[in-house]
Amino acid sequence: MTSRTRFSLVIAALAAVSVAVSAAMAATTASAPGVTANSITIGGTFPLTGAAALYGVIPKAENAYFQYVNAHGGVNGRKIIFKYYDDQYNPAMTVPLTHKLVEQDHVFADYGSLGTAPNLAIRGYLNKAGVPQVLVATGDSYWGAQYKAYPWTIGFQPDYPGESRVYGQFIRNKVPQAKIGVLMQDDSYGQNYYDGLIQGLGSAKSKIVDVEKYDATATDVSQQVVKLKAAGANVFALFALPTQTIDALVVATKIGWKPVTFINNVSASPLFMGLAQQSGANVQNDISATYLYDVWNNPSTSTAKSYKSIISQYDAGANPLDANVLYGVASAWTMVQALKNAGSTPTRAGLMNALTNLNTTNPFLYPGVKLKTTPTDRFPITQQILEQYKGTAWKPFGHIFANAK
Amino acid sequence: MVAVRPIHRPASVTGWIVPALLAACVIFLVVGSLESSLFAQQTVSGLANGGIYASLGVALVLIYRATQVINFSQGALATFSTYIAWQLISWGLGYWPAFLLTLVIAFVGGILVELVAIRPVERRGNVLSVVIASIGVLILVEGAVGWIWGNEVKFMPSAFPAREYHVGGVAFSMQDLGTIGVSIAAVVVLWAFFRFTKLGLAMRAAALRPEAARLAGIRVSWLLSLGWGLAAALGAVSGMLAAASPSVLLQPSMMDGILIYAFAAAVLGGLESPAGAVVGGLAIGALLNLMGSYVSWVTPQLLLPAAFVLMLIVLLVKPSGLFGRTRVRRV
Amino acid sequence: MRTRASQLCVVGVAAAIVALLPFGLSDYHRSTGADVAVFVMAILGLNIVTGYTGQISIGHGAFMAIGGYTTAILTHSHGWNDIATLPVALAIGFCAGVIVGVPALRFHGAYLALVTFAVALAVPQLAENYSHFTGGTEGLALPTQSGWWLYGVAWACAAVLYATTWVILRGRTGRAFRAVRDSEVAAVSSGVSLAVHKTLAFGVSAAFAAVAGSVYVLINNFVNPAVFGLQLSLYILIGAVVAGLGSLWGIVVGAAFVQLLPLGLSSGSIVSAEAVPVVFGAVVIAVMALIPRGSAEVLRAAVGLPVRARSSHTSTPPSLEVR
Repeated sequence: MTSRTRFSLVIAALAAVSVAVSAAMAATTASAPGVTANSITIGGTFPLTGAAALYGVIPKAENAYFQYVNAHGGVNGRKIIFKYYDDQYNPAMTVPLTHKLVEQDHVFADYGSLGTAPNLAIRGYLNKAGVPQVLVATGDSYWGAQYKAYPWTIGFQPDYPGESRVYGQFIRNKVPQAKIGVLMQDDSYGQNYYDGLIQGLGSAKSKIVDVEKYDATATDVSQQVVKLKAAGANVFALFALPTQTIDALVVATKIGWKPVTFINNVSASPLFMGLAQQSGANVQNDISATYLYDVWNNPSTSTAKSYKSIISQYDAGANPLDANVLYGVASAWTMVQALKNAGSTPTRAGLMNALTNLNTTNPFLYPGVKLKTTPTDRFPITQQILEQYKGTAWKPFGHIFANAK
Repeated sequence: MVAVRPIHRPASVTGWIVPALLAACVIFLVVGSLESSLFAQQTVSGLANGGIYASLGVALVLIYRATQVINFSQGALATFSTYIAWQLISWGLGYWPAFLLTLVIAFVGGILVELVAIRPVERRGNVLSVVIASIGVLILVEGAVGWIWGNEVKFMPSAFPAREYHVGGVAFSMQDLGTIGVSIAAVVVLWAFFRFTKLGLAMRAAALRPEAARLAGIRVSWLLSLGWGLAAALGAVSGMLAAASPSVLLQPSMMDGILIYAFAAAVLGGLESPAGAVVGGLAIGALLNLMGSYVSWVTPQLLLPAAFVLMLIVLLVKPSGLFGRTRVRRV
Repeated sequence: MRTRASQLCVVGVAAAIVALLPFGLSDYHRSTGADVAVFVMAILGLNIVTGYTGQISIGHGAFMAIGGYTTAILTHSHGWNDIATLPVALAIGFCAGVIVGVPALRFHGAYLALVTFAVALAVPQLAENYSHFTGGTEGLALPTQSGWWLYGVAWACAAVLYATTWVILRGRTGRAFRAVRDSEVAAVSSGVSLAVHKTLAFGVSAAFAAVAGSVYVLINNFVNPAVFGLQLSLYILIGAVVAGLGSLWGIVVGAAFVQLLPLGLSSGSIVSAEAVPVVFGAVVIAVMALIPRGSAEVLRAAVGLPVRARSSHTSTPPSLEVR
């Protein structure tokens, strides 16, 4: 054999191998990505380090629930593999990590990714690639409202304007002599709440005496709280992230100001309220809203017990009394339901179909709050109940109300 | 290095600018506070925040004086020390024993960091390599805090009782006053240490003229480690003060924002002057609160840029900081 | 003669690798490769102002932000073609660099570091404030691009800027930069204007970073202030020092180090997510202890160039000393 012939044979062999490999790869990508005979792989991006890392408890809680489901038969016999990466709340990390999830890890769906800006950054890519972007962990209205342009995207939690609309209605009806002071984050997060408040107040919006804003990177809001007190407000609409919320509550008590206080749900976890109390804040009778199961006042029901045992078994380091942990489990339950209804061999279209035709009761949500969607109404949770802080826990009161769109 | 004899400008020409500026600021604050209790309240809370920036700033100055290095990891080391204090307290130790033990641990930790991460770089590298190594320490230590203790926020008790005093419509908490007091005390103690002790004198010599100090028998490299240890202990104090204040939660990233203003305070004050760092820190704290409160076109996002622009103006007039010594480079 | 030939050989091989690599990679890795090019450009820029002209800057993330937002706003709100925005970003970046460079003349060492540090923090805040143009925290979304296109554009820009840098540094301007770095006294005595050259260095450096920022935004098809935080400026500085200041040899190594290592650790699942910064920080310290002057010295030795003498006048990084 001449060297030329040998050379040609080698090239031919290489070519054959490449063709075979590409064919094999193509074969695996033809069926629903991420789905095998005994597993479904999903993935998401979360801030596990950095300034927003306190939300890092959420994916761990979600993974705990998935492992619990896996230990009890999985989803129609398939185990859920949940890959989550740390994007540090920086969209420049969210994008490459999401590409990796889709193109290298071949996830079936992008599940539960956290943050408005990170999700906006990947929404176009995921929708173009036909990858479901589901149960995103942010309360912006985009996910439910812009479904025509982005049909593969759907949210989960009640949106922020809906929540603050209820606060506005409550103030209008129940606090006649209100002089309202608002502390809000100076960006779309705060604006969302503010808009809802105005809508809920209706004609009572003239009772707003002062609006103070803070920048998300500033941790001290004492300057704003002092001004709100000086403006004579007796109602305090506190639309801030956890750090600033705790600071505002402590400072308010310190300067001797005790208005009727509304705290947004995101920052109202009993964990944060406890921290505020330990630092000297008087948070008695403060008001917030919730949609999660009341595991704090019903610690011995079967739901509460099963929740706590799931956490202690599969996420031992987590604090089950942190509302963010319960949120994770509630979200994961919803995902498992949707996966079960996505077809005997799950398909992406099947998953979206399941998520846009929800009509069920999630045991980890407040009794009476339903998971309901239709193909044209894509807000899974639209009901909440008001709660008031008494002693060391939130106590729900009144009726469940709907955040009508 | 520029081979030029430094010329100190005669005191009569520029010596009066800084004291006059500071006196004007103090008068402004006092008069404003007497006029309006809102102004007074904003000033008090601002100064309290400033105290935290100041205490970390002094630690930065300490290391800069000794080694010409901006230690980017100062805040992260402070965070780590604070978590150690938290851990000791949660194991049952009382606050003050935990505090003191933490200072000792931080001191040892600072020396260790210098020996392991800084000295090997310094030996063969230059100042900028050491700065990069300090950034490496920052990344490592902040990551270690999250890795060991998790990212969930925790509660850190305060050294001071939660008592408030209301004077003329203004609320002073013991926390606020204590923070300012501790920062000033730290500077006084440091000043006394450098001025009156042999060790302090040796450290100053080692920082100014290392070769000459070696010739005089001073173990320069050992003193550098000592400097890092002292700075780490100071940083631990700063971290514990910060974590006790309501606006700072005990979480791994807690000192990131403070480091920014501590650095600004140190530079504004003149990087070689601990007193300058305290004045700078208090000034920045008060400035941020008052500007945010009274200057309406400064939106929350513009607050940091506006504060830095003002600092820049001060530095343009006095490029070596408020208390830095002006050195003229004759070119 | 032999040294010059081996240098060209190395450059040629490196260029060939860069050109051929994307054929063997997946689309995801191609866009990661494009990210490396972004850091190459940013580090090139920083090297000019810090490595060659002796002015420290920890603010280059801000210049990247300026370029990135220019591209995003022009593309998103005014329908410009993406590539057409790059020269605009270059020009605006240059102006921004000059604007920073003029007051920077007054400062040295750690004081200059603070000034640039302030710029790095202020620019994202400004972007957040003028949200009408910039989209604020919710930012602006751009159309997604294929990994091929991104890789090609990014490395083409990097190659152009690399060549430009080489040309600038070879000529009178380059010699003037080095003179300013090594001894301001000597530079002035030789008739080199400090003000002009220091400002020019900032301008050119910022222009490069602006282009890097533009490409960065194209790769991520999104921009918001969080993309250009302080960490970015610190990473560019780390990359520049790991590359080796004052030399063009190690730039790609430095860029790969700060881009690939954290990403690889985060997504490689070798260590838990919380342990990633611990590992990365340890590696940075170790690299500084082993090759404190950066990889350039190692590479120069490998191609047979003389290792620079360790006198204070060669490859001297800017001193942080005040005096």
